[in-house]
Amino acid sequence: MSAQLLLFQLLNGLGIGMIYFLLSVGLTMIFGLMGFVNFAHGAFYLVAAYAAYSVSLLTGSMLWALLLGPLAAGAVALASERLLLRRTYALPHEAQILVTFALSLILQETVILVFDPLSKNVPVPDFLSGIVFLGDFVYPAYRLAVVGVAAAVALAMWLALERTRFGAILRAGSESAEMVSLLGVDVGRVFMAAFALGGALAGLAGALAAPLRGVEPFMGLEALGVAFVVVVVGGIGSFAGALLGGLLIGVVQSVMSSLWPEGARLMIYAAMAFVLLARPAGLLGRA
Amino acid sequence: MPLNRRTVLGAGATALLASPVVSRRPLAQPARLEVAGVYSLSGTFANVGDLLNKGNTWAFEHYRTAAGVPINYTLLDDQGDPGRAVRRVQEVMAAGTRHIVGCTNSAIALAVAREVHRAGGIYIHMAGADEATGSECNRASFRWPGASFTAVNATVRPFIERNPQAKRWYTITGQYVFGESLLTNTRALLQEAGCQHLGNSYHSLSEREYSGYITAALAARPDVLAILNFGNQTVDVLRQAVSFGMKRNTKIVVPWSTGLDQYQAWGPDICDGVFFGVNYWHGVQAPGNKVIQDVVRQKTGGQTTNYLHACGWAVGQLLVEAANKAGSTDVPAMIRALEGLSYEGPTGTETVRAEDHQVIKDYYLMLGKPRSRMADRDDFAEVLAGTKAFQPPDRTGCRMA
Amino acid sequence: MEPRFPDPTSLGLLLAVAALPFVLPTVTLASEAVVFATGTLSCSLLLGGVGLLSFGQGLFLGAGAYASGLLLRDAGLGTAAAVLLSTLGAAALAGLVGFISVRRRGVYFVMLTLAFAQMGYFAVLAAGRVTGGENGLTGVPRPSLPGGLALDTPGAVYAVLAVLCLSAFFLAQRVLASPFGSVLAAIRENEARAEALGYGTRAFKVAAFALAGGIAGLAGAMHTLFLGFVPPNTIQLEMSERLIVMAIIGGAGSPAGAFVGALFFVVAAEFLAELWPRWLILIGLLLIAIVLFMPRGIWGAAQELLARRRAAAVPGLAADA
Repeated sequence: MSAQLLLFQLLNGLGIGMIYFLLSVGLTMIFGLMGFVNFAHGAFYLVAAYAAYSVSLLTGSMLWALLLGPLAAGAVALASERLLLRRTYALPHEAQILVTFALSLILQETVILVFDPLSKNVPVPDFLSGIVFLGDFVYPAYRLAVVGVAAAVALAMWLALERTRFGAILRAGSESAEMVSLLGVDVGRVFMAAFALGGALAGLAGALAAPLRGVEPFMGLEALGVAFVVVVVGGIGSFAGALLGGLLIGVVQSVMSSLWPEGARLMIYAAMAFVLLARPAGLLGRA
Repeated sequence: MPLNRRTVLGAGATALLASPVVSRRPLAQPARLEVAGVYSLSGTFANVGDLLNKGNTWAFEHYRTAAGVPINYTLLDDQGDPGRAVRRVQEVMAAGTRHIVGCTNSAIALAVAREVHRAGGIYIHMAGADEATGSECNRASFRWPGASFTAVNATVRPFIERNPQAKRWYTITGQYVFGESLLTNTRALLQEAGCQHLGNSYHSLSEREYSGYITAALAARPDVLAILNFGNQTVDVLRQAVSFGMKRNTKIVVPWSTGLDQYQAWGPDICDGVFFGVNYWHGVQAPGNKVIQDVVRQKTGGQTTNYLHACGWAVGQLLVEAANKAGSTDVPAMIRALEGLSYEGPTGTETVRAEDHQVIKDYYLMLGKPRSRMADRDDFAEVLAGTKAFQPPDRTGCRMA
Repeated sequence: MEPRFPDPTSLGLLLAVAALPFVLPTVTLASEAVVFATGTLSCSLLLGGVGLLSFGQGLFLGAGAYASGLLLRDAGLGTAAAVLLSTLGAAALAGLVGFISVRRRGVYFVMLTLAFAQMGYFAVLAAGRVTGGENGLTGVPRPSLPGGLALDTPGAVYAVLAVLCLSAFFLAQRVLASPFGSVLAAIRENEARAEALGYGTRAFKVAAFALAGGIAGLAGAMHTLFLGFVPPNTIQLEMSERLIVMAIIGGAGSPAGAFVGALFFVVAAEFLAELWPRWLILIGLLLIAIVLFMPRGIWGAAQELLARRRAAAVPGLAADA
């Protein structure tokens, strides 16, 4: 593989990886905060992708779609937390897994009910539909924009985590929720906010991905699998781990596609099992 | 009024328990012909199943009788699960049904074909797998569409004739049985035509992100990119290849496509200038095609017939044509009638080859039109060639059991 | 309640399996029910017996299905040998996966089983030349049994599947009632305490995992006998999920719950799907309701109801109920 080709595979990996990061950061945050494994996380990605599809169909504007898609996912996440998931905090992990699994099933089937099972095309925004010349190579403008948007969101999140009171609570809470509640913070509200934010970020990933890969009802399940791998590899509960894990999986997947494609998926799950065994805290998680 | 499925099953179960032997004997002159269709209305393949089933149902509603006997069509919803499909077929056959049609994917068709053959029935389907009229062929099963050999030879060959300067090829292939068959056939043809195969990228059945493969294809600077896979993956690879500006210096060929429904998913801007291979096109002038289109338009309030409608229709029509020629709904008589049968089908005059039970019909090479040249909203592409390209019977690997 | 074997539910299972082909509309539906009941048992045994939630039971079911298919079709083995070997093979595979997975607990354990399940599916696709890839493994014969019993009618196939299913259930009941079963229960209740009492809990968990994997593998071999082919979805993650759903609906607390859950799901799939293709929404709602309000599933709720009735009928019992 030539150096230039490798460079472009890295760029591809970066693009996919940034979407993986957005997809996974909410999952890792919620897990870190309350040890809650959310099998419905992929469904938030699904809901946003379909919301983006509907909005772009109705308004013809992909910008509105990118804005309203994540909002829809955040709203669904918030409602699920208020109405259902908070009832399971006191139950064992297994019960949480089963309830969120059931929730994802319900959301997926509802999407088929409202739309249909056919795959749908979501257009790229007009002003980003062209290609950009990078030396000898060309690259879709939209993919570069995705990297840019995701990087901006990552930066904003990092600032929020470091500079705001809510960020401090989130960081402290993912170390020890008990300590935070001893400090007099209403943990229930923190959980609620974390769910809404995490759902909206997964939604942003779904809305950004929609023009790249279209939308279909089973995309949430696939995203959930990837998100688990990212979270485990990066380190459960770690914001930086989600970023590193997302980029790593994106790049490995992209480079593997030139080397050993049929084994790419196999390798990714083997890597997940390996990290779980050798370093369960992940690459950047606290041991 | 169609017979309630539960009464059929209930009666069948009783008959079976009372005497398993009786139900195996074909009745001399049944009051009506029970036909069961195997389609998925839920599950992963529901997208295709619903349209196939509609086409099939409309064909039976149009013909009404086969060999003078009224047709009673029952849908067996397999929910996308091949295991369930086989079980449902076992059940209706135990209850006396001998005429089975349809499938939503190859795994289902191959399994059902064996089951129907074993139980002494007749099965007409639209599987894509070459094995259906190759190594897995049997006396009871017939297949309407052309498969991978046809798709490649009816598209790549005429493409090369029209574009002799396009010598350097790159392929992106789904790494599964169907993709491998497309690739093998493409390789053989490129070698024969003296073209250069620069390289191939495999993707897996579960892949949804193709930028890595497309970058590899771009780096090889081919004259032609061939996309060798099926279903949603075809839609995704072409969409992403076009987004990478692949159409600027490279011609794109998609030998296996379902035509209209995929064109609609892509939209005219992606289709423009791309070469497609399809088993059916509504714009083809043929008496059989006109019949379907009139029915579909009337049933759907003006929609254009797509490949899935046509497939469902064709397997229904074949069953009726067979019974009419045999003058009976008796299975052995219908099989004999089908072998060598010639009829006016959706693509013109079609014939059933006796050696492997493959329907010999046109497969089209199409070229996507620019938006400005589209006569109506479904006029996405023009037909460049229609070819009956089928593997000679001694090369299919079919040994009739 | 202490598990015993045989107990009244053993007789109940026997009667239910005997009655199924006459109660359900078709014999083949009954066959599907006993196949999935056996697969579900492997999930219940782990969850209810040891407290292990495994998303990997579909891997072992698939492994049993593919192994039996290859043994019957390509190795030319007889039915009994193929079923036995694929069951043992699945148990060995599960022993290996279990040996690795029990090094982690809680959600980490769940994630590991999930990773292994996915690896199995992608391995089957990657080995398409042997497994038939997306087309599945077609043309698996059903050789007659040693006694000369031909498996050529749905009734004969059901009879064999019923015997295999009952063997698995009785074995599970027997194991749960044994001293080994009480150690598993102790691990489920409080693993740290079981360890403090001197039990090598890891070895017990691996053994339970291998046993459950063997039962799943048996279910896979039964699936192959039933259909005469191996569809690729037997080893997909969705299969693991389906088994868990059945186990939870029935109630993971006892083998009888697994039977009830599988029967409920199979019959619901048959009739609800006919009425409403989106019937899985109802299954999702039911699943949530059971986890939140009926943690012992349909079977547990039925037992409670029965106990309450009995207590009401015999006033003297009400006090200590």
